[in-house]
This record gives sequence, C-alpha cells and structure tokens, in this order.
Amino acid sequence: MNVQEIVAKADLVVDASGLGCPMPVVRAKKGIDTLQSGQIMVLKATDRGSLKDVPAWVQQTRHTLEEVVEGDGEYIFVVRKG
Amino acid sequence: MAKRVAIIASGGGLETAYKTFNIALAGAAMDAEVAIFFTFEGLPIVHKQGPSMLKLKPENEPMAEGFARTNVPPIDQLIEAAKESGIRLIACQMTVDALGWKADDFIDGVEFAGAATFLDYAMEAQVTLNF
Repeated sequence: MNVQEIVAKADLVVDASGLGCPMPVVRAKKGIDTLQSGQIMVLKATDRGSLKDVPAWVQQTRHTLEEVVEGDGEYIFVVRKG
Repeated sequence: MAKRVAIIASGGGLETAYKTFNIALAGAAMDAEVAIFFTFEGLPIVHKQGPSMLKLKPENEPMAEGFARTNVPPIDQLIEAAKESGIRLIACQMTVDALGWKADDFIDGVEFAGAATFLDYAMEAQVTLNF
C-alpha cells in the first residue's frame, strides 16, 4: 500500500512533522483520544526518535501498530485504536 | 493499578525544565498519571517570569541552536501541553515561602504543597525521577 492509500483509509490523520521529542507521542495521544476503538489513526512524524518511540507508545497504550512506512526523512505510522 | 509517574524538578536552569517536561509529557501521552514537584532551583520553572529567569548553563549554550534546528518547543508551550494533559504541577510551599514569593507569582493551575503531599502521591508510583 502506498502512502496516499494509507492516508485515504484513515479515520484521522495527525501530522507531527517537524516536531521534536516528545511532541509526536503527545499529538498521537491527543488524536487517538478522539477516535473509537478499532478506528485508524495515521501519524506522520519526522523526529528520528519517533521510529522507536511510537512503537513504545503503542505498547503502553494498548493500541496496535499496523504499519510503519519510512522514506524521505518522514515516518508514517498506522495505528489502530485498542 | 493505574500507571503513575512522580517527578521532582529541583535543578536549576532551562535544562531542568526541558528534561522534566519531556519525560512528563511522554508519560502522560502513555496514559500515566504524572505529577511534578518543583522545589529549590526548579521552582522558577512554574513562576510567571520563568521564561526570563531560566537560562541554559554557559557550557550548554550551543544547545540553543540545536533546539531551534530540531524544533524543540519553547518551555511555555510544553507547560501548556502539560496542563492540557492533566499533569499536576506542585510548587514546594516551603521554597515559595523561603524566597518570599506569592501564589500570584505562579502560572495558573499550580498547586502549593509540601514533601508529604508529594510522597503520598509518589508512594503509589511505579516511576520516580529527580531532575
């Protein structure tokens, strides 16, 4: 699946591009709180730490990381709300 | 049991503010309850004039450029995010009194309490940190 397809099927897209640690997970939390269980949030980030931090955040918050797409200095995380 | 993080911010300078709010905000994003006890040199972090009182240590000044380059948010934005996240900000009453500061000198949402209040909270915490 390409990035556009992923974004198109998301219930919510949260763009944390350009934000440093810890803002990507802060924005992720704020975003996912607006969704229902089972819905999909796409999180975009450029912070290099987010590659490890978003999976750690998902682990602690009992959501599911469905996919990670990396390219052009941008990371796209597809998270299903638990 | 609910996840709980208890942080003491007692160090001076802008460094302490960044270290403290970075971990506090990540904790809150991970669905933990978070409280920060501001004491001694850490107290100015929650003072209304905090942004002008807090400086990087001279040896850390080169970090300012790096913070700008990597879009690390200014402290007042981190404090706003902390309040939005429900993080408790507790100013050490004893330090407040010793410095002759008043409740009005502090940003909105700050609680005033002492060591026992912090410990009562921290006894049930899985993570305790001191910056």
